[in-house]
Amino acid sequence: MASAANSNLNAVRETMDVLLEISRLLNTGLDMESLSICVRLCEQGINPEALSSVIKELRKASESLKASENSTN
Amino acid sequence: MATLDQKSPNVLLQSLCCRITGKSEAEVAHQFQYAVRVIGSNYAPTIERDEFLVSEKIKKELLKQRREADAALFSELHRKLQTQGVLKHRWSILYLLLSLSEDPRKPSSRVGNYGALFAQALPRDSHSTPFYCTRPQSLALGYGDRSGGLTASVGTSGISSLGVYTLNGPSPTPQSLLAGQPPQSVAQPLGSRLAWALPISSSPSSALAPLTNRLPLGPAAPSTRVVRPRRDGDTGEVSEAALVRDILYVFQGIDGKFIKMSAQENCYKIDSKVLVCKSLKGTSSRLAELGWLHNKVRKYTDARSLDRAFGLVGQSFCASLHQELKEYYRLLSVLHSQLQVEDDQGVTVCTESSLTLRRLLVWMYDPKVRLKTLAALVDFCQGRKGGELASAVHAYGKTGDPQMRALVQHILSLVSHPILNFLYRWIYDGELEDTYHEFFVASDPNVKTDRLWHDKYSLRKSMIPSFITMDQARKVLLIGKSINFLHQVCHDRTPPGKITSASKSTDTPKDAAELLSDLEGAFQEKIDAAYFDTSKYLLNVLNRDYLLLEHLQAMRRYLLLGQGDFIRHLMDLLKPELVRPATTLYQHNLTGILETAVRATNAQFDNAEILKRLDVRLLEVSPGDTGWDVFSLDYHVDGPIATLFTRECMGHYLRVFNFLWRAKRIEYTLTDIWKGQMCNAKLLKTMPELSGVLHQCHILASEMVHFIHQMQYYITFEVLECSWDELWNKVQQAQDLDHIIAAHEVFLDTIISRCLLDNNTRSLLNQLRAIFDQIIEFQNAQDTLYRSALEELTLRLQYEERKQQREEEGQWGVTAEQEEEEKRRIQEFQKSIPNLRSQFRVLTHFYQSIVQQFLVLLMTSTDESLRFLSFRLDFNEHYRAREPRLRASLGATRGRRLSNI
Repeated sequence: MASAANSNLNAVRETMDVLLEISRLLNTGLDMESLSICVRLCEQGINPEALSSVIKELRKASESLKASENSTN
Repeated sequence: MATLDQKSPNVLLQSLCCRITGKSEAEVAHQFQYAVRVIGSNYAPTIERDEFLVSEKIKKELLKQRREADAALFSELHRKLQTQGVLKHRWSILYLLLSLSEDPRKPSSRVGNYGALFAQALPRDSHSTPFYCTRPQSLALGYGDRSGGLTASVGTSGISSLGVYTLNGPSPTPQSLLAGQPPQSVAQPLGSRLAWALPISSSPSSALAPLTNRLPLGPAAPSTRVVRPRRDGDTGEVSEAALVRDILYVFQGIDGKFIKMSAQENCYKIDSKVLVCKSLKGTSSRLAELGWLHNKVRKYTDARSLDRAFGLVGQSFCASLHQELKEYYRLLSVLHSQLQVEDDQGVTVCTESSLTLRRLLVWMYDPKVRLKTLAALVDFCQGRKGGELASAVHAYGKTGDPQMRALVQHILSLVSHPILNFLYRWIYDGELEDTYHEFFVASDPNVKTDRLWHDKYSLRKSMIPSFITMDQARKVLLIGKSINFLHQVCHDRTPPGKITSASKSTDTPKDAAELLSDLEGAFQEKIDAAYFDTSKYLLNVLNRDYLLLEHLQAMRRYLLLGQGDFIRHLMDLLKPELVRPATTLYQHNLTGILETAVRATNAQFDNAEILKRLDVRLLEVSPGDTGWDVFSLDYHVDGPIATLFTRECMGHYLRVFNFLWRAKRIEYTLTDIWKGQMCNAKLLKTMPELSGVLHQCHILASEMVHFIHQMQYYITFEVLECSWDELWNKVQQAQDLDHIIAAHEVFLDTIISRCLLDNNTRSLLNQLRAIFDQIIEFQNAQDTLYRSALEELTLRLQYEERKQQREEEGQWGVTAEQEEEEKRRIQEFQKSIPNLRSQFRVLTHFYQSIVQQFLVLLMTSTDESLRFLSFRLDFNEHYRAREPRLRASLGATRGRRLSNI
């Protein structure tokens, strides 16, 4: 049982590595943690199209926030 | 499962928000609310749930950025991902990554635009939910300005904004994002659906370049749009928007308010009462063509899809048409939703992506071409089914337009799938499950197993798809036939998998498509392999279990008199039986004699299986026939070998046997004649008065012997041996049973015609029969001569003996009376000699004239071997000297030869 769980864990880790590599190739700008969150969301059947738009929106929001902070400072 | 534990989506989303913005949970509350809203708004994805498609898109994207190495790396990684079965929704994560990807070469130039983008998004993004509606402003303008944002957007009602999401149809992308994103991403959701008509190979964004170029021009569009309604209002014409709405209905084949189906002209027309500006009229009638095309295709599929007799091929054709129509409907639904969105925003709010007839004309260009092809196909395929239908579709695939070709190829691969299914079932299992007679192999259920090979299966020429050559079709027929033959006639129960060494491939539709594109290579190879293996196996079974070749040899040995000692002995034994009238013959007696002959000669070493089949047959008796006329050997054939030795073949064999048997009998008779002459010559030396007539006999007999020997030589060597050698070579090289059957038929035909048994040579055969009859007659005449001569001889000897005895006893040798009597008898005998002489002269004359006639006929015959025979028969020009007609023809060739020298 333990070994099975272990191998499963290994597989998960490898999968994540591969996905991270693809993500890097595609220049998505996701780090390991956000990627793993995204993967979990996708695995639960979230529409990726919606998710991607959310992420983009969030990024824009944070960037413009920073910009406004900079300008105010 | 440490990383993939089942946390609720909300928790995950929240942590995502924190992670990306880099703020605490409390601070991202608005963003989180927004995210939940967006994600919860619509769970149904619009994109294809196809991992392959997404991965291809990614590769295209990479290639477009000139990163071939990365593309290769990606496919490697993707493959790795596929091998690990951890993820269930691989396509989904891949899609996410793709949509987040950015071209590294283009520096992110968006930041500067954000303010403007969000400002533009404002009017659309008006909502009743405070969190939601305030978010963009809070980000762009800060919290302090929230109220200002609210006032700006309060103008539109909350209800209409809800409509944005419910009526926006399948697109989950909020309108704010759609409007606020750079052109390329705007094109994506709408464009990808618009572009269903485009092959996957061309990237959606590049194919829709004109579209995307137009979108940024957004601000310009409203101005034209604003002008039009005002003008429309003035003139009372139908507005373009109304026409667009109508057109969308017409696209589905439904009559609109203004545009209706005109029954007389069989096209969609704008109602003549309605006032429409001319250019709009033209554009809309051009667009309405789509509706007509759609109706045509639709009518066909509707009529056929429920028709069971249309068959599997027809069904799959309908299914492929349905598939295309479904794509078309999907496009229409996107257009509809777009229209709906515009409606909700009212006429006053003009957007750059609104629908106009011209825009529709551009967008619908590709679908129109596709529908046109489909309609043409439907027209062409009317009334066809099965393989014929596939041929028709295949004919349409021969076009230079790559898009059309891809479309037709796709349909063809679906259409040919059932055909290939039939084909594989047939060549690997020998099963024919063709309920609707669509496959090109037809089976006749009325044919019994004994004619299975010859008559049961046939090719339906019209059903051979044009991508399968006649040669291939014939091979396919042969493969399945061989398997069925093995099962039903040979009772061979080897599972089909063992016959063909090539593993039975799974025939998926993809496989079918590949085969179609690569007919020369893989498909041909497959058929060849199956053909080779099956035929070889069949021949092996026939030879090993059913001794096909042995039977063939037995035919040669027994029916074609190849086994000389046996035939000779049989004739010896049968002679006393066969001279009797045919009516007194009994089959069982003859069978007994046959067995004796077999046991006494080398035939006894033959296979018991073969000897068992050897039998005697008596032909129909006509009055006056002797045993010789009706006797015949017979060979029983049944089971698989009867396929080679059919009833007709056996009939031919019997005819040839009769001919050979007769010739043999004549030879045998002549031998008897010669024997009689040799024995009696010495005895009759004492009767000098006979020498003349005996000499006459000898001459005639040797003439006959010469003729018959040459005949026999011709039959044995030039006919039988040559043909047999040819047959044997062919049989050894034969690849399938059909080759053997063909070779055997050629063999029999040659023998029949060379043995003068066919219709062309009937007159020759009659002459030959007459010659044979003359020989028999001569034998009878000579027998009478010898009988009377020998009788006379014994009487004379007795007379001499008695005379001597008396002398020894001391009496007178003969009395005058006795002497008188003796003299009278001798005189009588001598008187009969001229009679005999004249009888023989007549015989000789008859015989020679018949032979001459025969030679003349031979000369004029077209068969070369027969002319050689005439040359052989008249080698020393004996007959030529007598017969002027012979001289003419023979002399011509001879003379020419002489002049050459």
